[in-house]
Amino acid sequence: MNFLFQSLPWWSWVTLLAVPPLIFLLYFLKLRRTPVQVPSTYLWSKAIEDMHVNSFWQRLRKNLLLLLQLLFALMLLLTCLRPGCDGTELVGERFIFLVDNSASMSATDTPEGITRLKSAKNQIRTAIQSMAAGSSAMLISFSDSASVQQSYTSNKSELLRKLEQIEPTERTSDLNEALAAATGLANPGRSSDKESQLDVQVADALDAVLYIYSDGGVRKVNEFAQGALSPEYHAVGSFGDPPANVGITAFSIGEPSDSDGAVQVFARLQNSDDVDQTVSVTFYVGDVLQDAVADVLIPSNDAKGISFELSGAAAAVNEPTTVRLKIDNDDIFMLDNEAFAVLNPPRKSNVIIISDNTPYFRYACSTDAIKKRSNVEFHGAEYLNEKEYLQRAIAGFYDLAIYDSLIPKTMPQCNTMIWNELPPGDRWQRSAVHSPSPVLDYDGSHPIMAAVKIGGLTIINSRDVEGPQGSLSLIESTSGSIAMLGPRESYLDFVIGFSIVETDDNGETSINSDWPKKLSFPIFMQNAIENLSGLSSFSAGANVQPGDLVTIKPSVPFEKINVRGPDGMITTLKPQENRSFLFSNTKQSGVYEVSNPTDGEIDQRIAVNLMDANESNLVVREDLNLGYSNLQRVASQVPKRKEFWPWILVGSLILLMAEWIIYNRRVFI
Amino acid sequence: MKTQGESGLHTQTVSPLISPALMAKLEQMELVSRKIFRGRMKGERRSRRKGQSVEFADFRNYVAGDDLRFVDWNMYARLDKLFLKLFLEEEDLHFYTLVDVSESMQFGTPTKLHYAKQLAASLGYIGLCRSDRVKIEPLDGNKQNTAPVFRGRKSLWQMMNYLEDLPAGSDVSLTEAVRSFCLRNSGRGILLLITDLMDKSGYQDALKYLVAQQMDVYLIHVLSQEEIDPDITGDLKLVDCEDADVAEISVSQRLIDRYRATLANFIEEARDFSSKRGIVYTMTSTERSVDRLVSRYLRQRGLVR
Repeated sequence: MNFLFQSLPWWSWVTLLAVPPLIFLLYFLKLRRTPVQVPSTYLWSKAIEDMHVNSFWQRLRKNLLLLLQLLFALMLLLTCLRPGCDGTELVGERFIFLVDNSASMSATDTPEGITRLKSAKNQIRTAIQSMAAGSSAMLISFSDSASVQQSYTSNKSELLRKLEQIEPTERTSDLNEALAAATGLANPGRSSDKESQLDVQVADALDAVLYIYSDGGVRKVNEFAQGALSPEYHAVGSFGDPPANVGITAFSIGEPSDSDGAVQVFARLQNSDDVDQTVSVTFYVGDVLQDAVADVLIPSNDAKGISFELSGAAAAVNEPTTVRLKIDNDDIFMLDNEAFAVLNPPRKSNVIIISDNTPYFRYACSTDAIKKRSNVEFHGAEYLNEKEYLQRAIAGFYDLAIYDSLIPKTMPQCNTMIWNELPPGDRWQRSAVHSPSPVLDYDGSHPIMAAVKIGGLTIINSRDVEGPQGSLSLIESTSGSIAMLGPRESYLDFVIGFSIVETDDNGETSINSDWPKKLSFPIFMQNAIENLSGLSSFSAGANVQPGDLVTIKPSVPFEKINVRGPDGMITTLKPQENRSFLFSNTKQSGVYEVSNPTDGEIDQRIAVNLMDANESNLVVREDLNLGYSNLQRVASQVPKRKEFWPWILVGSLILLMAEWIIYNRRVFI
Repeated sequence: MKTQGESGLHTQTVSPLISPALMAKLEQMELVSRKIFRGRMKGERRSRRKGQSVEFADFRNYVAGDDLRFVDWNMYARLDKLFLKLFLEEEDLHFYTLVDVSESMQFGTPTKLHYAKQLAASLGYIGLCRSDRVKIEPLDGNKQNTAPVFRGRKSLWQMMNYLEDLPAGSDVSLTEAVRSFCLRNSGRGILLLITDLMDKSGYQDALKYLVAQQMDVYLIHVLSQEEIDPDITGDLKLVDCEDADVAEISVSQRLIDRYRATLANFIEEARDFSSKRGIVYTMTSTERSVDRLVSRYLRQRGLVR
């Protein structure tokens, strides 16, 4: 109805709609005719065809003037409706519709008051309906990943059905994958329609129009080979004033302080509006209101950090506890008004160092910082074959295992630091021995090497190591990398190409490096233990966003676990080979509870938060950057209209003239 | 003459059906039958039958038993053979006049019915003068044979009175009335049908019945001047006087033209239909005098001479 009332106010419509019944009424109230008796109406009836009828409708039928006047009134009404064909002018044969269903598309700032996604779907529906017969279209939805909802088809009802199935998500937006899918499928040789058993060629490699329905809040598109595609950006949402939205873009729990064990909780509130916003926030631990801050002023287009402190007693929880921050003010985008984090009970990490020359490590690990956070065990090479070690290594008891000049047959279920050896298998390579090997450079930006000054370090013998793909070189010598951090499934292996003490074939030991004598060695060890033993997992670890894949490592190696989502849906998972569990069903933001199915005891909680500054910024972008080209938005809200009303008006005038002529010539009534 | 204004019905004060001047003219005429019919009584009309009269017809051979009075003795004297002289028989003619007395015939100035009566009287008078058998019947669907037969000049006033008293305003359809007549009258002769043919169920069936009678049929189609050239204006509701059917019109030149075309078409159809079936069709307006119609048009068409 909005469409109707846009052209005229409601009372005008009431007046206009009253016109046809009025004309009708006037025709029945019109002057009576003089009755004249004639010998026979036979000839008159013949002269006036279809005249000698009495039924109501036929009586109307002969009232040509009435019909013309009614028609004229209706055409005027129709003109006032401002009829036109809106939507895109679908000229072409092939179309690709990319519809953004990321979190920000749930904002309700469209003129119709519906969500941006619904508005986009409405626009696409109109576009599909205005497709010429024979033209085919493809439908792709995208958030942080793309999903081809419907490959090329000319079946409009199928396209519309698939369009209806697109649901809003709480994920971030990334156009890259969708563009890749579109370009890949833009020129298909064959059908990829699952419902068709036949492998038929549906479309030749022809130009296609790529319609992108989004609010533009997508990650940067690095590369886009346009090829045969002609992209068009249809921005969805309100333009002009940026929508008022304050969102939580960060929420984390800091390290407990050394003195009293108090915990700092940090949050970052972002205001994407052009005016300053004032909000109230409430902070809960578990379900208990812990703190609240009223009237937090967030400057326009800026962010503001707020912090809460949990005293040592409040922070000393016995089991993983949810902490929640909520913005109490409602706005058009509610998804970013709440954030979750998990406060885990403090726990010392388990570190094992297996070496035949432990004094240097004992010395380096005797600092208070390490002792406070980690239980460090020292064992000789023989411990590798002991049952206790094997069980613990497989069960994931250790958080970090350090091997010095030796290597177990199978790698443990934890992060490792390996001196002068390589993990079994051929994923790691090392060169022949270089001597001497001056350190050329090191990656000081990496947490492990933070504040580690290794200038002037002497290393007599060393080997270059080469890790698997994705490995990171931390220390480089003149010939190559001598310390590298590489991934192994969900763990990290830190492989160092030299040892502190070398043992020759005769069992004689000799010093290989003077590093233990330097101040940087204990710092290096502390960094390595802190980073590799996962102490940072104290505060729920890295931010998990909806749609992310989560690796769950329960404290005890369960046979299976239950994951209960915020919506109460329980998923039962089976472990992978390394006793960890992969959980992908993180559709919703909130806290996911991992529990043991046998006794139902909650083992850990995982917080999933949108917390994406890009999504919280609801400003509808005027242009969309696609690699090297910049797409200006096509005004979706005022779509290309084919206005019909002028033609109807001309028609009405012609009708009026015809009516006038008929009335004057008095053909018949 | 007076006019009933609003209803449009036109009635007329009684005027003589035949003027003396016309009567004198009519006495000189006679009805002509294109077919020679057998009469019932001896009349003034030659018959195909051979019989007793003064007009010679033919000779034929004498056969035993023939009346010797008709033997041509002069021939016998000349040829020595006996021949019989044959004479034409003179018979009377059946002259039927059917007058449409439906409601629609009461329109016009003078009314079409009056005009029809005048015509029936005129032609009937010719028949009476020639000793023909004159029968005038109203088309009122009467199943009884009530119409009197007039014969001889002395029956003139009787016929006049009968015509004057002819009932009007029958609502029987033309076809029904003609059918009723045909069932009751099987004789041959001349049949004159005076009607306006304004019957919504059609006149064709009625004419077909008449054709089947093997009579010498004359159709006088009477239309009033108001019908031929309607003089009406404005927004009107035309009411049919017979069945009260209503036709709402707004008179325009185009409508009048269309009406005229329809009327012309209607007349043409009737003429066509009649001539194809051997019926002599004559369309006349009430404006045309009976004298002129009889002495000129009907003479041209061979009904009288």
